[in-house]
Amino acid sequence: MVKNKSFLSERIGEFVRDLTGSGTGRLTIVGSSILIFFIVLAIFAPYIAPYDPTEKVGLSLEPPSRQFWFGTDNLGRDILSRVIYGSRIALSISFMGVAIAFLIGVPLGLFSGYLGGWVDRILTLIMDAMYIFPGLVLAIAIAAVLGPGVINISLSIAVVYAPTYFRIIRNQVASVKSELYVEAARALGAKNWEILLKYIFPNVLPSVVVVLSMNLADALMTEAGLSFLGLGIAPPTPDWGFDLSSGQRFVLSRAWWGILFPGLAIVFAALGFSMFSEGINELLNPTIRERR
Amino acid sequence: MIFILLAVIFFILRIIPGDPVLAILGGKAPIEVIQQKRHELGLDKPVIVQFFDYIRGVITGNLGTSTLTNRSVFEELKDRFPATLELTIFSFLIVLVIGLFWGAESAWRKDEGLDIVARVYSLLLYAIPVFWFGLILQLIFASYLRWLPVGGRISAVTNFKIVTGLYVLDALLSKDWRGLLDVLRYLTLPSITLGLVISSVFLRMVRNNTVLMLSKDFVKAARARGLRKKIVLYGHAVRNAFVPIFTIMGMEFAALLAGAILTETTFSWPGIGSYLVMKIRYRDFPAIQGTIVFFALFIVVISIIIDIVNALVDPRVRY
Repeated sequence: MVKNKSFLSERIGEFVRDLTGSGTGRLTIVGSSILIFFIVLAIFAPYIAPYDPTEKVGLSLEPPSRQFWFGTDNLGRDILSRVIYGSRIALSISFMGVAIAFLIGVPLGLFSGYLGGWVDRILTLIMDAMYIFPGLVLAIAIAAVLGPGVINISLSIAVVYAPTYFRIIRNQVASVKSELYVEAARALGAKNWEILLKYIFPNVLPSVVVVLSMNLADALMTEAGLSFLGLGIAPPTPDWGFDLSSGQRFVLSRAWWGILFPGLAIVFAALGFSMFSEGINELLNPTIRERR
Repeated sequence: MIFILLAVIFFILRIIPGDPVLAILGGKAPIEVIQQKRHELGLDKPVIVQFFDYIRGVITGNLGTSTLTNRSVFEELKDRFPATLELTIFSFLIVLVIGLFWGAESAWRKDEGLDIVARVYSLLLYAIPVFWFGLILQLIFASYLRWLPVGGRISAVTNFKIVTGLYVLDALLSKDWRGLLDVLRYLTLPSITLGLVISSVFLRMVRNNTVLMLSKDFVKAARARGLRKKIVLYGHAVRNAFVPIFTIMGMEFAALLAGAILTETTFSWPGIGSYLVMKIRYRDFPAIQGTIVFFALFIVVISIIIDIVNALVDPRVRY
């Protein structure tokens, strides 16, 4: 069976580090600047965007001009404004998807690893089966049943990444639970939930914090893919993936602006997330730093 | 493993809130109609009975009936599978050629021009969503330059006997050279899109594993014996780096399959991916479930093949 899936962000971060040849600092700074840039766009979209992203403000398919920097789409809406507002959906779904995955995967992993026995075996089998399945296909299946919407798409993404958290936490708990300090806590009369929450959880948490930040880039790409396939947010809400799929209809009319700009937004956001997570990764894991 | 995978798919599609019947009929259908539809789909039976019906169906190759076309989902998938297979095979060839040769050469001349270009290439292509890359290629080569068709699989005028469903092979078999050229023209953009995007990771892995091997003693020995670069690099280093590379290849094939869904949609390629997307649009749940199961089976088969080949390549895996 294929194991050991590595993360998109991990790879990108690796490439970037090789490229710049610099240490953690610059990577984190560049990554977090891009991230902050997109977060600011998302929060202050109404102040930054020149037009209402869902209103017809120009002619259909106007090329970029001084009035419309990124041109207009087939419905005469300003693409720049749509790209700016699109960061809202992209960011909120990636954050929420990863957060839900964390909330599902971590408790299950804790219990499974701590309890052991048949519960553990069954849960592990199920999670492993989900793990080897290509993420996008799984997300598509779930999104198809749940239908569009921010929560639904976040859930579909969460199901894809929950097994990752489960696996990491479970394996860590399984190895940590026989440590001396856990034995000591038990000898002192600590209850099971106390041991889990106060002794084991804080010790296994750091390993998933890194994964958390790494998953963000993957979640972003999955969201874009889902909405490109028409499984994302119901129109007319601005969304990069969806805007790309509507831009696609005008490839032959050479309306390149409807395709170029939403796509660039996805690429930059994905790069930003990856660099940021790679930086965090090295800051939190000194072992990695030493190795390089 | 297959059983568990199937069970997981079944329960995910069943347990999550959201009623397929309501989704098909819309919220305002009268209650009798809803119940009748439910009965038709077998959804009024207990979950566990449904589950065994479904498992029996999968084993006997019965994936249910499409609510849209009333055709067997298995038959429909069988019709479309060759298109996806052809696309993935050609993309995979591109991945292999780029990954192996460029990866090996980059490893040989580590940190020099070619290697640096390889890194920029990997970085850029990996951060790019496959469908966007496809759209950009469409814009350049189909819309502006008009060298290649924008989408589809074959021209209406091309006509040769379809035997295998793999059009390139069929064209070769019927010795229709013009048809072959036509089919290849349609195949070029989708397979380049998918191949290049997937190749970025593969290139990286080949390079790193080969670098590792090049520092081993047996490679130094081979060089000391004065063997030519080609033999040292491909015969010794790459060959020994092949075991990890092969495992990655399996993973990449799964990625390829997922990427195929997006690529097929971009290029209106009539394969399983665009089939799935179309069925989702029409809320044809038996077909959606069947397609997902099909994907699962395909991935299991691939990983079994990888395991077997791995054992053939590396005697240490057999024990």
